Amino acid sequence: MAGFLIKRVLQAVFVVFVVTLTVSFAIRLTGDPALMLAQGAGSITEEDLARIREALGLNQPFLAQYFAFIKGMFVFDFGRSFMGGTPVSQLISAALPATMMLAFASLIVSIVISIPLGIKAAVARGKWADQAIRILSLVGLSFPNFWLAIMLVLLFSITLKWLPPSGMDGFASFIMPAVTMGIILTATNVRLVRTAMLETLQSQYIMVARAKGLSESKVLYKHALRNCAIPLITYFGLQFGGLLGGIVVVERVFNWPGMGTLAFDAVGARDYPVLQACITVLSLMIVGVNLIVDIAYGLVDPRIRTE
Amino acid sequence: MINKKGIHAAFIALALTGSLLTTGPAFAAGTLTVSSPQDPGSWDPVDTFLVNWASVSTNIFDGLTYRGPDRKLVPGLATAWEELDGGKRLRFTLREGVKFHNGEPFNAEAVKYTFDRLLGEEGSKGPQKSNYAAIEKVEIIDDKTVDLHLKAPDPVLLTKLAGYGAMIVPPKYIQEKGEDYFNTHPVGTGPFKFVSYEPKVAIKLEAFADHWGGAPKLSNLDFRFIAEPATAVAELQAGRVDLVIPPTIPIGMIPTIQGDDKLEIVSTPGPTVYALRFNTRDGITKDPKVRKALILGVDRDTIIQSILGGQAAPIASFQGELSFGFDPTMKPLPYDPEQAKALLKEAGVAPGASVQIDVRGNDATFNEVVQAVASYLQLVGINATIKPYETNVLLNDIIPAGKTGAMFQQAWGGWTLDYDNTAYSMYHSGEKWNPYDKDADLDKLLESQRSIIDQPKREEILKQIANYAADRALEMPLYNLNAIYGVSKRVKNFTPVPDSRLRLTDVTVE
Repeated sequence: MAGFLIKRVLQAVFVVFVVTLTVSFAIRLTGDPALMLAQGAGSITEEDLARIREALGLNQPFLAQYFAFIKGMFVFDFGRSFMGGTPVSQLISAALPATMMLAFASLIVSIVISIPLGIKAAVARGKWADQAIRILSLVGLSFPNFWLAIMLVLLFSITLKWLPPSGMDGFASFIMPAVTMGIILTATNVRLVRTAMLETLQSQYIMVARAKGLSESKVLYKHALRNCAIPLITYFGLQFGGLLGGIVVVERVFNWPGMGTLAFDAVGARDYPVLQACITVLSLMIVGVNLIVDIAYGLVDPRIRTE
Repeated sequence: MINKKGIHAAFIALALTGSLLTTGPAFAAGTLTVSSPQDPGSWDPVDTFLVNWASVSTNIFDGLTYRGPDRKLVPGLATAWEELDGGKRLRFTLREGVKFHNGEPFNAEAVKYTFDRLLGEEGSKGPQKSNYAAIEKVEIIDDKTVDLHLKAPDPVLLTKLAGYGAMIVPPKYIQEKGEDYFNTHPVGTGPFKFVSYEPKVAIKLEAFADHWGGAPKLSNLDFRFIAEPATAVAELQAGRVDLVIPPTIPIGMIPTIQGDDKLEIVSTPGPTVYALRFNTRDGITKDPKVRKALILGVDRDTIIQSILGGQAAPIASFQGELSFGFDPTMKPLPYDPEQAKALLKEAGVAPGASVQIDVRGNDATFNEVVQAVASYLQLVGINATIKPYETNVLLNDIIPAGKTGAMFQQAWGGWTLDYDNTAYSMYHSGEKWNPYDKDADLDKLLESQRSIIDQPKREEILKQIANYAADRALEMPLYNLNAIYGVSKRVKNFTPVPDSRLRLTDVTVE
């Protein structure tokens, strides 16, 4: 077991190392932040640019910059933003909870919609309800999320004036972004629930439950759903990691002050420290979730840890 | 059937949250909410060149001079100034009884501290210092008088003192609280004082009743940072934002705002001019006849009316009508495809010759413009291919290295609205933005006006430069784009400014 743990953790560390190195290297290929800062200065000289680069620490060799970044990472010090010098850790501490909350809300929206629909589809297998739900989920999957977001804003913010069009300000502001993200997720989740349910409904204990004369609702929600919950929870957990990365567009449309907005702005401004930190934190979380799932499986199933 | 109930429950829950949490726009009397496309990250005047820094900070800080929407230079924190030693020394008489928002007095000490800081170590870390390189030192004559000693006369300096890096900052406050604190908690002498700042979200200001120019009419001024144009316009339509400032609203969204009877579009000529500049060193555009033919072959008026919705003005040189050095007698070359064809024939360019036009790929409006340009060129027998680049790549790698096609997009505009800044950068040999052209006569003209402090005389030389560049057809001048504001009709007394330096002292809200 110890060997398995060490192997998995080392793999995770390696992935994070490769991601941070690639990002740090790649962003430095996009051009010079000093020129970016000086845009608008008509008469900037090479000396002016040199002293700005020095102030930003860009005169150091790449590896020195990279190792300084890695060293800082362990104490949650990601340096300072090139745009205004705010400590990056401060920006991340504000943005990460905003993104996490939105991802969590999206997942809840998706679960609340996809479980009843998925069960209905499984029960009505092959009938019109099943077909309709499958077509609906296909439609959901085909929506570009920015389009859906704009339609929701037009309807609920501009026409009905029920919900704020953007920003993070109280419960009401969560509804549209969470529904936008949630609907996209629902498309896949409905199919997942349906498949898991179909398998479970074949089991003998379901037949027994029915034979006992339990109501259909008890059979489905108490006996069947609980038994297929484990793979579903695993999948939803992994999805949470993926959600964090895929949230950029939705955050931008809803002006959500999260990691996506932070990273998006950082790309435009060539703000190396902020972008490095955003990607590192997101990859740490995704790798972390995967690691936990791996280890949990290993604990439960001996076949996996002896592989 | 429980599963049906489940669906119902989900829908009811969604519907309930929607209706229960309905929050109508609730404003305290006198609060104006502005949507700005960018958070500069720091409010320290020495740190940035971003125009949206100025949209906020013009309300927090004052300079020695002030320039409002009418572009006239008037007293700010200095009540008078005079040029001494042939323009190499500027003497300022300072306004008395002025206090910073923290109660600290404004005096000669504060002026000296501001410029020592800008030109010293702190300023060296940022881009503003280079703009004030003409200043050698500040000398305190007495508590209410300071002299700026200049290395060489700078005819644009008095204008530059009205904005950005020259904003006067409080010495004691910065020394006590530190530079980092000042970045996020700005203190100045302006009409609004800082209340709170949440990075990437908003900055809030309130009226400073003791302002030397009188208290502003608004009690509160909030700026929200909204980058996405559709989102900013939705907030305006929902009544949660009163004013959307440039550069946000694209031409394509103007009808949406005009179609809403609670909103209006207010625009004014802006500082930004657009041109397709020529590679004057190689290829067919080396020949001035060809360059002139290409200009004659494009109907720029039609482009302005049809693609830009009339929110632009045609230009004859690479500057707009607000620019110092603008020559109203210069007229753009007319649209004359026949003459264009004749000139091309004269220059020996066979029909079917090709040119490449490099543009910024993310500029949707300009991409439409350039497609129209390409179609017009087709009509005079020139095949134009459009090559889009990522903006920063085009600006920082392709143009300075002279790797462009025969034509390339250039958008330019400085807040000083002085043609010197544009012309010197575009035409002087060896400048970053001028990779192709070398013209000793033009260099001489450009250099000569930099040491002249007699403004009418300098203006004459700038006009001469504009005419010279047009005669050589160094670029295809396209248009001067308006600064476009989306405004709620509850906002009164709003005057649009061309350069984003908004000072919202006279604005009221209903």
